[in-house]
Formats: sequence, C-alpha cells, structure tokens
Amino acid sequence: MRKYFVITAGILAACGMVLFQQCKGKPAKKNGPAQQAGFEFKARLSDYGFFKGELRALDPLPGVARYELHTPLFTDYSLKDRFIVLPRDSTVHYQAHGPLDFPDSTIIIKNFAYTSEQHQKVLIETRLLVKDPADHEWKVMNYLWNKEQTDAVKHITGARVPIRFLDEEQKPVSTVYQVPNTNDCKRCHTQDGALMPIGPKARNLNFSPAFLGHNQLTDWVNRGILAGLPDLKTVDQLPGWDDAQHYTLEQRARAYLDMNCAHCHTRTGDAYNTGLFLEYEQTDPHALGILKSPVSAGGGAGGLNYDIVPGDAGHSILAYRMNSTEPGTAMPELARTVIHKEGVKLIMEWINAMPAKK
Amino acid sequence: MNRIIKNNWYCFPILVFAAFVSCNSDADKEQQQAYVHQLVFAPGDEAKVLEALLTIKDSTSILLKAGSYTFDNLSIVKAKQVLLKGEGKDRTILDFSAQSQGGEGLRITDVAGFTISDMTIRDSKGDLLKINKSRDIVVRELNAIWKTSDSTSGGYAIYPVLCKNVLVENCYAEGASDAGIYIGQSDSAVVRQCKAAKNVAGCEIENTTHAAVYNNEFYDNTAGFLVFDLPGLSQRGGHVKAYDNYLHDNNRINFAKAGSFGTSWGVGNAAPGSGVIILATSNVELYRNRIINNNSSAITIASGFAVGETPDKINDQYFPVAQNIKIYENTLEMGPAFPGPAALHHIGKLLIGIEQQLNQQDPNRKNKRIPLIMYDGISTNVLTKKTEANPDSICIRQTGDNVFVNADFLNIEKPAAWKPSTDMRAFVCQ
Repeated sequence: MRKYFVITAGILAACGMVLFQQCKGKPAKKNGPAQQAGFEFKARLSDYGFFKGELRALDPLPGVARYELHTPLFTDYSLKDRFIVLPRDSTVHYQAHGPLDFPDSTIIIKNFAYTSEQHQKVLIETRLLVKDPADHEWKVMNYLWNKEQTDAVKHITGARVPIRFLDEEQKPVSTVYQVPNTNDCKRCHTQDGALMPIGPKARNLNFSPAFLGHNQLTDWVNRGILAGLPDLKTVDQLPGWDDAQHYTLEQRARAYLDMNCAHCHTRTGDAYNTGLFLEYEQTDPHALGILKSPVSAGGGAGGLNYDIVPGDAGHSILAYRMNSTEPGTAMPELARTVIHKEGVKLIMEWINAMPAKK
Repeated sequence: MNRIIKNNWYCFPILVFAAFVSCNSDADKEQQQAYVHQLVFAPGDEAKVLEALLTIKDSTSILLKAGSYTFDNLSIVKAKQVLLKGEGKDRTILDFSAQSQGGEGLRITDVAGFTISDMTIRDSKGDLLKINKSRDIVVRELNAIWKTSDSTSGGYAIYPVLCKNVLVENCYAEGASDAGIYIGQSDSAVVRQCKAAKNVAGCEIENTTHAAVYNNEFYDNTAGFLVFDLPGLSQRGGHVKAYDNYLHDNNRINFAKAGSFGTSWGVGNAAPGSGVIILATSNVELYRNRIINNNSSAITIASGFAVGETPDKINDQYFPVAQNIKIYENTLEMGPAFPGPAALHHIGKLLIGIEQQLNQQDPNRKNKRIPLIMYDGISTNVLTKKTEANPDSICIRQTGDNVFVNADFLNIEKPAAWKPSTDMRAFVCQ
C-alpha cells in the first residue's frame, strides 16, 4: 500500500513537472536538446562581420555576395546595396517560380542610402532577412545608421528621417524618409502567413548587372552559391523596367507592377481582399484592373470608377494612386514618401497605349 | 497536446485541472488575468505601446489606462490571443490624426483570437481599424470616429476583412467616407447593439456568409444598411439576417464621391435616403426592423446588372442577381419628399424618375411617394431567356399600401417601353 502511494505520488510529481513546464514555457518542442538554437539578432550591424574596412563602405568579405535585381522596388530614389550570406558549405537551390530555395541560416542584407546634395552617399538603414534554423522561418530586423555613419543599431520601431537627396535628374528633393517597423516589413514579405524574400527570384536575378559584366545566375553557379540551375535559355527573365532598348512598353510596365505591387496584390498577399492581382504572369484583365471597380479604396480612388480605363490614364485609379503621397491614397502604402516620376510615366504610357474600349 | 496526453496518459485528470487553473483559460478570455503576458500603459507611453505591439507574444493583454494617446499608426501581425483594452469608450482615446503612412490607423493581420474593447479610436487618414485575415475577433465597446464627415475620412471605421468568427457589439462608428461598420469577405459575423451615424453607409455586409445583424441603430447616414456582393473577390456572400434594427433618417449626401468624374462603384451607388440596399447578394432575410424616414427608398433590391456589371463576371464567387430574399414584418415608413441630395446622385435621380413615372402612368395614385420597397426587376430571366414572374424567390410579407414597385430597370433608359409596376402579387410570400 505504502509502496503504491509512493509510486502514485511520484507519478503525480512528475506530471506536475511536465505540466508546469508545458504551461509555462512556449511550445514544448523548443526545449528539446535535438533542436538547433534559434537565431538571435545582434545589437549592431558591425557585430556580424559582413564587411571589411570601414563599415560604411559596405565592402563585402569573402562569403558575402553582392547581387542586383533586374527590376527593383522603388523606395524614394534610395541607393540599394544587396548581399547574400550563406552558411559554410551550403548552396541555394534553383526554383523556377517564387524566391530561390535558401538554406537555413541564410542572411539577406539590404542597405538603403541616398545621395546628398554634396554628392555624398548617406546610409539610412540596413535590413536583414534571416532564415532561422530553429523553425526554418524567415525573420526580419532593421538597423538604423547613426549620424556619424560609423555603425547601424538594431531598431524595431521604425523611424522618420528627414532627408534631402538628389533624384534621377540630380534635382534636390526634401522628404521625411520612413524606416519601416518590423510589422511593416512583415506586411510585404508575408505570403500565405509565412515570411518570404521578395527580390531574389531566379527570373529577377537572371541578367548581367554592370558590376559583374556577365550573367548573375551563372556567376552564382561558378562561385558554388547556386545549385540546380537549368540551361539559361529555359530560365524566365523579368524584364528591366527601364530598359526600353530590349523590352516592350507592356513588358516593362508589367515588370514594374510585379516588383512594386504584386507582393501584396496577389492571392497569397496582403491585398488579397482587393481582387486586384498584378503579378507578371497574370492574364485575367479584370484581375489586372482593366475596367475593374475598386472594392475598398474609399476616397483613395479619387472619385474615379476603374483601376484602369484603357487609353485613359488620367481616369485610371492605378495611376492616380501611384501619383499621390497622401496616406490612404498613396500606393504602394509603404516604402514610398515621394512620387516615382519615372514609374508613374511608364504606367501612364502603358495605360494610354491600350486600345480604348467602347 | 495529443502528444502530451499520449505520453502522460496517467495524469490526464490533473492535466485537465491544471489547464483550467494555470494555463490559458477558455472560460473568460476577456479578463486580463486569462492572458500569460499582461501589459499596462498610460498616456505618454506611446513609444512603449508601439514597441509592445511589434514584439507581441501569444497570449498578451494590453491595458491602456484612461487618457489621450497620439499615434502615427499601430499594427499587430501574426499572434494568438491578444486583448487590447481601454478603460472606457470615452476615457481611453487613441488619436491617429498624425498618420503619415499606410492605409489605416490600427491594423491587425493574421491574429487568432483578437479582442479590442473600451476605447475610442479616431481621425486616421485611411481606415481606422482594419482586421485582415484573422479569426475569433471581438470588437466591443469601441467608438471609431472621424470628426468630419467628408471624403478625406478614411474608408471604413471598423473593418474586418477575410476573417472568420467576428463579433462587433456595443460600438459606435461616425464619419466614414465608406461604411462605418464593414464586414467583408468573412464567414460567421455578428453585429449587434451598435450605432452608426454620419457615414456614407452605417453598416455594410459585403461578400460575407452567415452574418446576423440585430438590435442596431443606423441613422443620419447616406444609407443605413447595405448587403452587397461585388465581383472578382474571394467568395460570394449570403445567408445574411438582419432583424430588430432601427434604421432611420438616413438622408445624408453621398460624400464618398471625391471627384467630378463620379463614383459608380461600391458605396458610391448608395442613393441618399436609402434604408436598406441588397445588391447582388442571395439568401437574405430582413424582418422586424423599423425602417423609418429614409426618404428615397426604405428597401432596395438590386442586381449587379443595375450598376453596370456584365454576365462575364459570373463565376463561383459572384452571381449578380439577388435570389431568395425574404422581407417580412418590418415597420416601413417614408417622409413626404425625397431628400435634397437624392437629386444630385445617379441612383437617386433614377428613384425620383420612378416616382414620377408611376404617378404619370396612374393618376389614381394622386402623387404618392415612390413605394417603400424598390425592386429593380432584373431577374435571372435575362440569363435564362424565360419570362417567369418571380424566378428568384423574392418573398415579401408587409402590410399597408404602396409597398412595392418593380422598377423595370431593363427599360429605364427607353421611355417608350419603360413600365415600372406596383403589382406585387407574384412577390408575396406563399
């Protein structure tokens, strides 16, 4: 009897411990010894050791690979430096659609800077996307550069930074640059509830950036970064939005909309509710906004009736919202406080070139 | 949980007990004590509130003590069990007039179990409270207000979209240039004991299934209550019941229109003086409502064709003709004349024209008002090429005189052929 009592008490105590841990801790699986430790963001950009020499020069150490995109997102005419850092002895796997398949512990680095009136490059923020080995999910963090331009410090709450920069025509423009908070990051980077990189898709890396002088995907294969690349002739290419020599107006406009809008305006994205889907592959005219009434634009539609009126950009909500900086009207909603004149011009030309419908 | 039980089956009774006393209790989610993480902030702590929402953990309650807070915008992304609570509708005030970016003041995305209560949110540039792709949502004792009712005031005040299980109760929405309370593309929603005034639409249920709207008061809007389906969205709406509501004096100018080019979509189609508008949504029941002094149309039933949609928009997510509509035991009254703003609105003008046409056709009407229920008469006959009297099961059981008009919208632009008819025999519930 006494023996049973002891055993029972022991079991009860054990249960209590189990329950205590499981109630108190987060999911129990994280406590297992087999689990890899989760990624922890460091306090300063310099703590990672990505770059050699003066940090602000962003001169990558071996193992940190610079890359460029054929058509980028517009962010207030900022200068962007992009790098990818892979864990030792691992490779990215080719994917025909969507972002490439990155191994755990990949770090994608994107630095934002502007050209000052004195023609100096001034660094504002550095964003990191990290594929956490603990749960294989991407995590975001932001680093804000200090005034002295010596380092960037972890910063989650976003910031409003007054800047005066030179635009494409070398004209000075004043604005209050918006550093996103970490939820803002998630807004564009979330597809079907999971964080994803947006830029590094095979088709958007498939070109010869000026800094390389030859095809970037081939370069990645040669450097052992990328595996599984098929014959380049079979790899899709997103047109360069500003390359009128090689691409049609239609191609350039659609590439621009893909990179600037389609991370949200897609069925798996944040703007699913709008029914406006602007992926490069999209073929349904209604989904593309052609004679489509908005759903929830409210006053943001400017009293106009359709997203796109073929032949009439002046009465197309798409162009109207791109041409605004007013919150509630401006599109994209984030990452832009000034109008991208060249982008608006491209989209207006595209709409105006569409045959008007009777 | 399964794994715990399997491996530790012998302590199941204790598990149940422990879950009850120490883990997150299901019994009273609204109590702060039920949350693992409990945070309290006071006015002046705005930066801390922002940071708390950015780093939020599952099962967190946030109490905002009484007073005024100013925010640019706030957001919560991807979390489970979050409570955001003030100390009273008129005591905890969140002012978003400083909004400098984004589409809304307060934005909730991908949260399972979100409750917001006991505060006022006001004056954002975009929508006030948007809840996107979330489930088990409670919005309670919340004022959502813009100080001026004009086209610059957001779209929606309370705006759950693509959600499942939504309860909005004891709330008040004012000044929205679209709908004050809007439920879009959601499933299972209840709106009750709410008020909405000075919006374009008091309340709108759009492409939403299984909604119940009851014991509300929507007044002094352009239109009181809308049930709309729009094409090209994630799902059809339907199975919507509205009862015991008081929808009155919705005669305000439609201020959604922001340009000279006109707005002929969504809420822009709501004529000033509309009580209820059912547009392209099927399986809707309206009963025991008091719908009074909405002076253009107490109840409008319209198809998407009436506002320019075309048959090519028909698919599994959209059908333009409202079918299976039941309207009974409502108290319906209209004032003696159209509200002034009706004459400025494209649908308002049509309603005025219908009244004139009826009175011209039949001098015995002695210049009565347009009937209380306006049906556009565009039925599935236009798709089937048949001539059935009531192919879409429109069922009306209302007493009194001058109840119904089939407005013959198909011929409204052909004066010689246009014959609106007050004969409602085919539409009386069997």
